[in-house]
Amino acid sequence: MAQPAESKASRRDFLKLAAGATGVVGAPWIARNAQAKPTTITFARESSYVKNFDEHFQKVLAPAYQKATGIKIEYQIQAAGGGAVPQLVSMVENKSGADLAWVQQEWLYRDALVDVSDIAEAVGKEQGGWYEEIKNLSVDNGKWKSVPNGNIGQLMVYRKDWFEEAGIKRFPETWDEFLEAGIKLKAKGHPFGMSMGHGFADNYSWLYPLLWSYGVTVMDKTGKKVALDASETAKAVDFVRKLYKEACIDDCVGWLDPHNNKAFLTSQISCTNNAYSIMVSAKRDLPDMGKVIDHALNPKGPTGQRYHSLVPVTHGVFAYGPDPQAAKDFLRWMMDPKQYRPWIASGDMYFAPYLHAFDKVPEWDIEPRVKPFQKVLETGKLTSWPAPANRAHGAVINRWVVIDMFSKACTGASTKSVIAEAVSQLKQIYGIA
Amino acid sequence: MSRVVEASGARAITARAPRPFGLSRLRELVERESVYSWLMLTPPVLFLVAFLGYPFFYGVYLSFFRREVAGPATFVGLTNFVILGNDPIFWQSVGNTVKFTAAATILKATGGLAMALVMNQNFKMKSLTRALLLLPFIVPTVLSTVAWQWIYDPGLGLFNRLLVVSGLAATGVSWLGTPTMAMISVIIVNTWRGLPFFGISILAGLQTIPAELHESATIDGAGTWGRFRYVTLPALLPVIFIVTTFSIILTFFDFQLVYVLTGGGPANGTHLMATYAYSLSMGAGQMGLGSAVALSMVPVLGLLLVLLTIYVRKD
Repeated sequence: MAQPAESKASRRDFLKLAAGATGVVGAPWIARNAQAKPTTITFARESSYVKNFDEHFQKVLAPAYQKATGIKIEYQIQAAGGGAVPQLVSMVENKSGADLAWVQQEWLYRDALVDVSDIAEAVGKEQGGWYEEIKNLSVDNGKWKSVPNGNIGQLMVYRKDWFEEAGIKRFPETWDEFLEAGIKLKAKGHPFGMSMGHGFADNYSWLYPLLWSYGVTVMDKTGKKVALDASETAKAVDFVRKLYKEACIDDCVGWLDPHNNKAFLTSQISCTNNAYSIMVSAKRDLPDMGKVIDHALNPKGPTGQRYHSLVPVTHGVFAYGPDPQAAKDFLRWMMDPKQYRPWIASGDMYFAPYLHAFDKVPEWDIEPRVKPFQKVLETGKLTSWPAPANRAHGAVINRWVVIDMFSKACTGASTKSVIAEAVSQLKQIYGIA
Repeated sequence: MSRVVEASGARAITARAPRPFGLSRLRELVERESVYSWLMLTPPVLFLVAFLGYPFFYGVYLSFFRREVAGPATFVGLTNFVILGNDPIFWQSVGNTVKFTAAATILKATGGLAMALVMNQNFKMKSLTRALLLLPFIVPTVLSTVAWQWIYDPGLGLFNRLLVVSGLAATGVSWLGTPTMAMISVIIVNTWRGLPFFGISILAGLQTIPAELHESATIDGAGTWGRFRYVTLPALLPVIFIVTTFSIILTFFDFQLVYVLTGGGPANGTHLMATYAYSLSMGAGQMGLGSAVALSMVPVLGLLLVLLTIYVRKD
């Protein structure tokens, strides 16, 4: 948490120090910090899968901010893989822990976040404007409650060599072709591994886009009517059951987020839906496999549409902190292109900015197989889409209502019963009679 | 120091420097059993109130409210319990918890008894074996569960490699892939972890059985089974009863193992009441509903505690 300063530097002393710091002279937050009191700001962030990204923050950004303002940044790394949300919830409940954070599932505690509209609007203005869809998460009642930092792109990750061996020259364009390819590959001992367990990313990232591409959403636009109760849902459920039975490895129905990475890297599966972390690990530890991995966009559904699921990283400032303004100043500094662009580049675009200024930057060319992750932003939707991303939506995600609808169908339940159960849960969660 | 010396010493001090509150009177007061016992009891009671009592009563309070993270609490009476009553996942988690607890406890009790009987024999490196058998109980659950994740891995896991390499199966078993197998798998891990608790406790019980009882039974013509049935087992029953009750309580509350291994999946097949309460409160942010699930576990555990108390008092 922000600590009160022990020694009081005069405004003049501070400005001298600030003037000496390169790259940040004259920025508005410097003037503000001349009167600021804290000596430390705690920034909580889930451990990123890209080591350089965390290191860049710790070795470059945090010291630079300290040099410029005298404020030390405590970088509190939280465990990755779903563990961060309970930690954030505890922080909010206890009104302690961090001044600002990667606010995962912020719909759960938006009331505890300060308005950061000034920062988000300024950043949007100077960096080409925000992608529209992310506003549905960060903007609540007309106010920005978090500043988007980046999207962890989720795509189809597949073994190009095995696909070619099975006579599949290009990655399937439609879900039906995808099933067909899966049947062929499973017959050759290389099944697909599509996660359907109680994880938080790799299950949502293909099941929701699949559902949408069948023309169904979970709720309607208002978030007051269940839209899942449709005949297309039954078709989607039947398709997933068939895909699971005929093309997938048995275990994937219970997989948590790390399991598909492990299965892919140990050559148990030929395709899954994941971020590009599998390729990073393979290139580092299994160079031969690293060469034959590729990424592809999610297939199109019967509607002819292709969708992707956004996995957003947004930063918010807690209102209960001793000096939220100091944390806001730091956030503004961090999002300045001078700091933000090298930081994003250090992570090899693993976190894709929701800002149009980054659409065609050369950083995307570092690896041709990373480039498709930029496209995720064009067709990417929040899991709440088209309904508001609110608390009720959080409950749907954390109770795996839609995921379990599919996984139950795969483990023997009838299509009718799984849909009825999901609809009844949705009604209970959204308070619909 | 004897009371007499103590008292005379105190008198001497009083004589030198008269005080309004005599040290001897204070000492006398402290030494009164009623005062002394409370003095000793106060720190643990305060500790229990702060770290168990407060969260428990706060949980009870929350279960009557609609309360979301960082949001205001609205009194809803028994609504949360009514919602749970109509929630199929809640009932599934209740069923899972009962199945999980019953199967794991039976396996642990019988396995622990067998383990204790073997450990009670004389063989080389007995002490080392006893120490090693305690390992599953000592290793932090989260760590051992991560190791079990590897053991259950469909392709490279220990079990499936053994099955395939030994030619017992062409392809491995999907240990965590189906609801039934996942439940069996988590029961196996819980049994593995809890077995030493039973084994060591029953072993301690075994060692208190006087050798004369076995000798006289042998003289009376009892064979191995007879001695076990009519001497060992009756003498062990009190230990088995207490250990089983404790184990039921611990198993009923188990959380870490399932959370790490399956997260309650697949298709809620391993969701226990504890993991469901957690995912509702800490994941979905529905503090009231989550607390209601947690509170629903209390009657069962309360009943067990009453049984345990009656049994201990009877003894």
